[in-house]
Amino acid sequence: MFLSKIWFILVAVAAGVALSIALTAPRPMAQKLEELEGQRLDRAQYAAEQLLKVDAHKWIDRVAKLGRDAILSEALDSASHGAGEIGVQHKTVQSRIRSLLPDLSTAGIATIAAIDGNGRVVGRVGEDEKEYGENIGGAEVIADALRGYLSDDVWGAGGHLVRVAGAPVLSKNRDRIVGALIIGAETGPQFAERLKRNLDMDVALLLRGKVVASTLDPAALGVLPGLVAQHKAEIADVKRTPAIPLDIGADTYLAVAAAFPGQASQQQGYYVLIGKKPAKADLTSLLVNTSARDLKWDTFPWISLVASILAAIAIGLLLQRLEVEAPIARMRRELRTLARGEATKMNDARYGGGFGGIARDINAAIEHHAMATSFSGAIAAGTSSAAVHGDAPVAGSAFATGGLFTAPSLSPFAAPPAAVAFSPPPAPAFAPPPPAAFVPPAFPTASRPPPKTPSIPPAPASIFGLAPSEEPEPIDEDHHVQEVYLQFLAAKQQCGESAAGLTLERFRQRLEENRSALMTKHVCRTVRFSVYVKDGKASLRATPVK
Amino acid sequence: MKIPRFIRTLSAPALLFAIVGLWTGPRAVAGTVKGTVHLPDVARATRLNQGYWRLENGNVPVRPSSGRSGTVVVLDGISGIHAPPPKTVTVEIAGLDAQPRVVVVGPGSVVEFKNIGKITHELSTPADSSMMPIERLNPGTFRHQKFGAPGGYLVRCSEYPHLTISVIVVDSPYYALVDDRGGFQMPSGVPDGKATLKVWSMGRWVHEEPIDTTGKQDLTVRVEAARNAKEPDAKDVDSKESDSSNSEAKDPETKGSTE
Repeated sequence: MFLSKIWFILVAVAAGVALSIALTAPRPMAQKLEELEGQRLDRAQYAAEQLLKVDAHKWIDRVAKLGRDAILSEALDSASHGAGEIGVQHKTVQSRIRSLLPDLSTAGIATIAAIDGNGRVVGRVGEDEKEYGENIGGAEVIADALRGYLSDDVWGAGGHLVRVAGAPVLSKNRDRIVGALIIGAETGPQFAERLKRNLDMDVALLLRGKVVASTLDPAALGVLPGLVAQHKAEIADVKRTPAIPLDIGADTYLAVAAAFPGQASQQQGYYVLIGKKPAKADLTSLLVNTSARDLKWDTFPWISLVASILAAIAIGLLLQRLEVEAPIARMRRELRTLARGEATKMNDARYGGGFGGIARDINAAIEHHAMATSFSGAIAAGTSSAAVHGDAPVAGSAFATGGLFTAPSLSPFAAPPAAVAFSPPPAPAFAPPPPAAFVPPAFPTASRPPPKTPSIPPAPASIFGLAPSEEPEPIDEDHHVQEVYLQFLAAKQQCGESAAGLTLERFRQRLEENRSALMTKHVCRTVRFSVYVKDGKASLRATPVK
Repeated sequence: MKIPRFIRTLSAPALLFAIVGLWTGPRAVAGTVKGTVHLPDVARATRLNQGYWRLENGNVPVRPSSGRSGTVVVLDGISGIHAPPPKTVTVEIAGLDAQPRVVVVGPGSVVEFKNIGKITHELSTPADSSMMPIERLNPGTFRHQKFGAPGGYLVRCSEYPHLTISVIVVDSPYYALVDDRGGFQMPSGVPDGKATLKVWSMGRWVHEEPIDTTGKQDLTVRVEAARNAKEPDAKDVDSKESDSSNSEAKDPETKGSTE
């Protein structure tokens, strides 16, 4: 299953990379979009600046043309000299302006004022048109006009923005300045709408920390003056702010603010261009904003995607087939062959990895089972199973292994020989005779029929000290080990314990080690082992033989 | 040696005169300090806030403007002199103009801003709004403001920002308004020694240089555009006491006659 695992890892890594790309790739794209929107705002701000400039020139031209009117010139000349009644002059000027510009609102004019050479308002049309006589010559645009300049300004008085253009009014002979005319152009909602139409983006006008006009809901722009005020230094430096993110309800906008020229620049008079920020770039937003057009065959690589997925699945299934399903099928066939008795063991060399291990375990189990059944069949006739169940060493066999051999499976062999408790026997030592009834089976004998009496083979009577011999007899150690091994396997089977991995060679090795240790310790000729069951587990007992 | 009697008789008064003369006699005086201030073109434009366009009419010549009105030269840092005594100065605001637009007073003086026009104004010192916060100055009303610490203060109308009044509080009697040609002349009696010459124009300190008044009678002061410009801010006055407690707005219709 090595390749299957590698493939699984590769697919997981590829999926992780794809997910990472899907999560991170939109961010640069969103930054780029935001940058582009910022550039669009910058261009729009430049366009707005040019528009305002052209507009200012248009108003200057208009007021200059108006100032060439002879009646106005005469009235202002007379007022400058203090000749005549100012009330009469006011009416004359007012009616003349009305006749020249009958519809101020259509022309986008908020107010027109005629000022005499002393800076005094002679006549006014539009806002405060009943007011006259006031000296407003201190205003810079009016002072400029009275000096001979045509100029413009933006005022922010009374909570309103007004773009102002002023021009001198010359005498009939055009040899001296007799007064000035100023026009105040509407700079409120109409102006904002006009800017929006020209620039294709929303506009807000600010004055002294308040929104005075906007193409968006002014109530939603409450934070805008504060945001712009934070960039006051940049406005003073580069004449405009960078693109400022602006949250209005659920929508996010970008705003660029620039100061109006003239006096309004001293009054936080700004025009702000507002463009909608590109959609959010997180995965959810991208998926939500995906349209059917994006998933069409010609725009989305369906074929490549489906082919890649199918190829990945096919490779995975192929590897699964080669490394898992095929060995399982082969093993099942072989096991059926075993079950039919047509084979004695599995060919474990045909299998690799985990399946090879399973095959070898099966072979070992078959081997052990065969040995146990052959041994049981051989000793069943002349032994008593009751002898095995003695739970304590009988008198005379004073060597008890304690817990050394009582652990199930192989664990007893892990204990060091020194752990064996020793107490000298009270009676003279005697060696147990070899088991008379035991005939070791041919090893292995898998083809033998299973025994019909699966009782635990009894231990030889000599092990329990029942038949001590007077003289020591030669001991066949190899035979004894095989005998004990089979008894131990039988006892384990009886107790329902697993004997997997307990081969004769290992058993022999461990017994030899224990024997050597005990012989050294107790200075005895040899050691005899017997099997017994303690606490439902097969155990071994060692008895030194002097 | 015997000193003649007439010498002894004369020496005593002579010695007395000499001691008294050394003790109380006038210090060396440099005489009149005068000079010319050359302002940059921007300052001569007479317009603080430019629009997009400023075109000549093409028919009659544009009337000249000095551009120096509101320019003051102050000699500072002279030891042993006394500041001008405090006084009350009235600034009248008519329409969209104020007269005078520059006030030079001694520490502790009071400036009375009087609105004699028909337009409501809102005066304050934007650089230090705590000193003179924004207050409406309705037509026919006035407002008193005490200026305690030496320094330059720019009082501005927030409705009509072109309307500014410069209040310069000096602790030296040696200051002069610059005339239309840029000339200035200090009052006589400037002591010899080192001093600092400061120029206030366009609502801020635009120039400052150390000078030696000894023997110097004619100075030429060139103000560079914006480089040395310094907006009046709290730093001009924060090291010294400023008193705004006397700030008040009075309506004669409700509080009585004006002072």
